[in-house]
Amino acid sequence: MPPFVKQLLLRLLALPVTLLIITAALYGVIMLAPAEERAQLYIPPRTPPLTQEESQQLMDRLVAEHGLDDPYPVQYARWLSDLLRGDWGWSPTFKADVLTLLKKRLPVTAELTFYAVLVILPTALLGGVLSGWRAAGRFDRGYRLTTFVATSIPPFILGLFLLSIFYVGLGWFPPGRTGIYELSLSTSDFRAITGFLTFDGLLNGRLDVVADALRRLVLPVFTLSLLYWATVGRVTRVAMIEEQTKDYLLTARAKGLRERRLEWRHAFPNAAGPALTAMILSAAGLVTGVYIVESVFDFNGLSELITKGFFVAPDAPLVMGFAVFSVLLVLPIILLFDLLRVALDPRLREDGLEL
Amino acid sequence: MRRRLRPFRRRSTLIGLALVLGFCLLAALAPVLAPPLNPDDPWPFMNISQSFSRQPQPPGPGLPLGTTPQIQNMPQYGIAPGQDASFQWDVYYTLVWGARSALRFGLVVTALTALIGITVGVISGYVGGLSNLLAMRVTDAFLAFPVIAGVWVIQRAFYGNIYNPFNDPMTLTGWEAFLYRARIDPIMIAFILFSWMPYARLMNAQARRVKNLDYIRAAEAMGATGGRVIWRHLLPNTIAPAIVLAARDVGGMVILAAAFIFIGFGGNVAWGTMLVSSRDFVIGLNGNPFAYWWTFVPISLALILFGVGWNLLGDGLNAALNPHGR
Repeated sequence: MPPFVKQLLLRLLALPVTLLIITAALYGVIMLAPAEERAQLYIPPRTPPLTQEESQQLMDRLVAEHGLDDPYPVQYARWLSDLLRGDWGWSPTFKADVLTLLKKRLPVTAELTFYAVLVILPTALLGGVLSGWRAAGRFDRGYRLTTFVATSIPPFILGLFLLSIFYVGLGWFPPGRTGIYELSLSTSDFRAITGFLTFDGLLNGRLDVVADALRRLVLPVFTLSLLYWATVGRVTRVAMIEEQTKDYLLTARAKGLRERRLEWRHAFPNAAGPALTAMILSAAGLVTGVYIVESVFDFNGLSELITKGFFVAPDAPLVMGFAVFSVLLVLPIILLFDLLRVALDPRLREDGLEL
Repeated sequence: MRRRLRPFRRRSTLIGLALVLGFCLLAALAPVLAPPLNPDDPWPFMNISQSFSRQPQPPGPGLPLGTTPQIQNMPQYGIAPGQDASFQWDVYYTLVWGARSALRFGLVVTALTALIGITVGVISGYVGGLSNLLAMRVTDAFLAFPVIAGVWVIQRAFYGNIYNPFNDPMTLTGWEAFLYRARIDPIMIAFILFSWMPYARLMNAQARRVKNLDYIRAAEAMGATGGRVIWRHLLPNTIAPAIVLAARDVGGMVILAAAFIFIGFGGNVAWGTMLVSSRDFVIGLNGNPFAYWWTFVPISLALILFGVGWNLLGDGLNAALNPHGR
């Protein structure tokens, strides 16, 4: 088994450990709340609305039944085993099973994240390499100014302004995810295979759906990408500048290699490492950004679960489910960037990733 | 000293410094610039008129930046339950007093996250071995956790009574009363708990880099305790990048908090709350996005400049403390 395969297996093994630590911390926070609050985690499905007295009785019964006065490790283990068995609880706010709710909204958020990463990575790496290679040149000055502006504008304000210009003013890009296609998508001849509207549209041969979905993705993806493009681009630029002082480039240049080859074949793979590490560090921030952008552009993704009925009723199962699910969304992104790092850096293939 | 101060003569650093000092001045002089109705308990919003119109009033005499309608259905400290929602808010007043809440939020959150992160990072890095492995695993696990979920968990777990519109906040007791009186919101707690990781990673790497250098070894050989080595020798030589990170964080934290308030979490960064109330007017009612410009331009600009100021200050500090890099 080549070392990097072993490393990747180790990485995969590390995922459950990460999950274990974070859920333990999460449940630890919840444990600070009174037992009645936590009893909501076990509200049986299809419970009708209760009066205050009835709900008090139900909570007392649930506390006794589920041993919510037990010590932390016992309770945590019990909650985790329920989670693993797919029993994520019942959400009184949405009157539905929490896992079903989450799974239904996952594709929306995942699609947005997917396109954002697809835009961010190439543009950030390209921009960072070009500007870092000729630091202080004309392109570099323009690039630095652009990234500075991009990092200065809060995404939610940018989103609002884009909506007011391109939706209200020009009528080009409407908000929302489906618009009038909502109706035709729920009929039986449109089969949801991946849940991604753009992919499903292609698979179903409905190009009009694809076009509409792409049109509606333009503004959210742009809003989301701008900030991360700038952040990652800056890191790449600095890494490129640092690579230029290294001896191996001097050697390669002395051997008469062409400038373009030096830039892309020699310096770039080394500079991409820090950029990908920066992406890994901000993966959770990226998902938070997706939620904010979803909310601004009225996408009915995972964030809908937070914003709808946020302050109406306490809903502990939904909260815990959402938190765990968010982590599950971040982990594949981290894994993807790790894979890219290994692909670009042969040293990691030999020595493995640092764990 | 002269050499040390040279980066502060850079134009961008000076702009950053001026912006940050400007906001500090705005916060300090708030009672003079925008006198509150009740000086003992200043609230960052000033209710102007009570009418049934939700139309924002344009700037005019006595209202330098006009008004924007008070938002409804948003948990907000200080709004008495059942309070009439047809008030208008004075934009200028919130612009001034919002500087106070923004600075308070940014500085408290950054100071505490930096403290937690630096402590975890330095101690685990210096001690090394198993505790280092454990601390870094925990750090990585927290890195995978979106802070937005943390805000929600904390809001749900601890703020049930505080945000309950049917409760009189004055009847709260114990820690709930403390959270209410100290104006600590769930966003603040979540940010402190879930954003210390970059500091931990940074300081961990720094500590591991220098812990085998001669001067640390010498201190140990002279019989210094671990605590003394860290405090007197390790920290002063490694803390610079963390300070830079912290300076940049102050602005970023406030902007992120405003974004959370904007999408529906209640919070205490007044600029964020006011932007929620102006949301409907950004979309421009008659096809002109700037028809009601005063409801959002001044506040958005303040938020952007706040972020820019701290960012530039961070860049300047970076140049001053780390003359080789960047």
